[in-house]
Amino acid sequence: MKHKHDTWGWMLAVDFFFAGMGAAMLVIAGITDLFIGEITTSVLGNFLAPIFVAIGAGFLILELGRPFQAWRVFMNPKAILTFGAWNMLLAIAFGFVLASFGIKAFPWSEMVVLRKIVAVLSIIVGLVVATYPGVLLARHKSRPFWNGPGMMVIFLMSSLVTGAAAHIACGFFVPAPTEVVLAKLPYFVAALLFFQILIWIGYIMIKIDGTTEREAKAAERWLKGDISGSFKIGFLVCGNVLPLILLLFSNTTAQVIGAILVLFGGLLMRHLVVKAGEDRTWLPGELNYRSKLPIGDEEFLKAWKC
Amino acid sequence: MAHYVMVIDTRMCIGCQSCTVACRTHNELPVDMIYNPVTTVGPSGVFPNLQMVHIPLLCMHCQDTPCVDACPTGASQQRPDGIVWVDEKKCVGCKACVMACPYGARVSNHEKGTVQKCDFCMDRVDKGNIPRCVQTCHQKARIFGDLDDPESEVSKLINGEHVVCLLDELGTKPNVYYIYGLEAQNR
Repeated sequence: MKHKHDTWGWMLAVDFFFAGMGAAMLVIAGITDLFIGEITTSVLGNFLAPIFVAIGAGFLILELGRPFQAWRVFMNPKAILTFGAWNMLLAIAFGFVLASFGIKAFPWSEMVVLRKIVAVLSIIVGLVVATYPGVLLARHKSRPFWNGPGMMVIFLMSSLVTGAAAHIACGFFVPAPTEVVLAKLPYFVAALLFFQILIWIGYIMIKIDGTTEREAKAAERWLKGDISGSFKIGFLVCGNVLPLILLLFSNTTAQVIGAILVLFGGLLMRHLVVKAGEDRTWLPGELNYRSKLPIGDEEFLKAWKC
Repeated sequence: MAHYVMVIDTRMCIGCQSCTVACRTHNELPVDMIYNPVTTVGPSGVFPNLQMVHIPLLCMHCQDTPCVDACPTGASQQRPDGIVWVDEKKCVGCKACVMACPYGARVSNHEKGTVQKCDFCMDRVDKGNIPRCVQTCHQKARIFGDLDDPESEVSKLINGEHVVCLLDELGTKPNVYYIYGLEAQNR
């Protein structure tokens, strides 16, 4: 039965995907810069990190009912969305500065101390941007699938996986000056994918068995409901198991295909998670009432608007 | 300072939807927007022991407001008298409040690009009147008043009757109380 829901749309899922991926790329670029050496990831990847965060911010703006008033989302420091918006802005700024150290034409490219400071700041804001969508969703008391700290872990893990996969794909097109990081990254992503599968199995199991009836019902949608096919085949198989196998091959093409499948899985997962937010803790008789509301494509509504 | 609350006596409500219509007319809402629907639970049971209850829903004007906390622009606000309202000039339609509200009380106005909700008809309340839905209800199922006034009807009802709040377990401390005549919670 169809119900009328007023919820976030697919653009927010795309925002979460790009912002999470870009932020994690920033974290990886910062960590490798600090602990392994200068510019060990692809310069293309380093520049795409803040661009991806900016694309995510762009989709967030498009999701707004009044996109030209988007600046107002920076106004309430108590709101988690405001916190996320400020950190996205910082991630974009630090990301471009960090990436610029890879271009020798810039006069500051030799300033090692400044680069290290920017790397540390990039790691901090990158981790915040990668994690905050999970915190945002987890705080919704009446959205049984989202509620709880597990959502934070899911988003952080997926951001790291997709960020590392994006670095692999970028390294294929514009190789890094040294292979020291990119050669090992596919195995790192494969390990993260393994943990991601475990986390998802655990999350669904806990929701079904260990919590409230409402949460169990919301989780059943992922195993037997309308999104179960996309979850099992699209996300778990095509977005996790298949790339995990491909990334373990030493063939570069197979690894890049695996990395692209990881990105597909990350995007699909976010879409499904946002869609799962339709399930609210319903009030008495509310579901029956909502099933009677017009969805928006009814003839009488079209006639009314004409 | 007043503390405005509403008591809804489901024993009196007959599900006529007069309050829904009055609200939509007063607020000049588009055709696909409703602030205060009336849901129906039942009929259930076996003849002749049948039961059915109508439950008017609206913004609960919670004391602990997840919607106000979630609003990134500061458009969602709560007045000292407890009324939660949306400053449309500041609202950007991000729907953070829509998602945060456990009661589904907020609706998007797709024409304006903003989110709107019941504000207890604060334009009327500020002039000493009662909300339009309360005025319209011919069954007197909706009672509005100041909880801090011990002589008010709402104060007497809340202290004298067995009242419940919807989704009380979430800790939002709603300012809308229900007198349940039947076992409506057992959907």
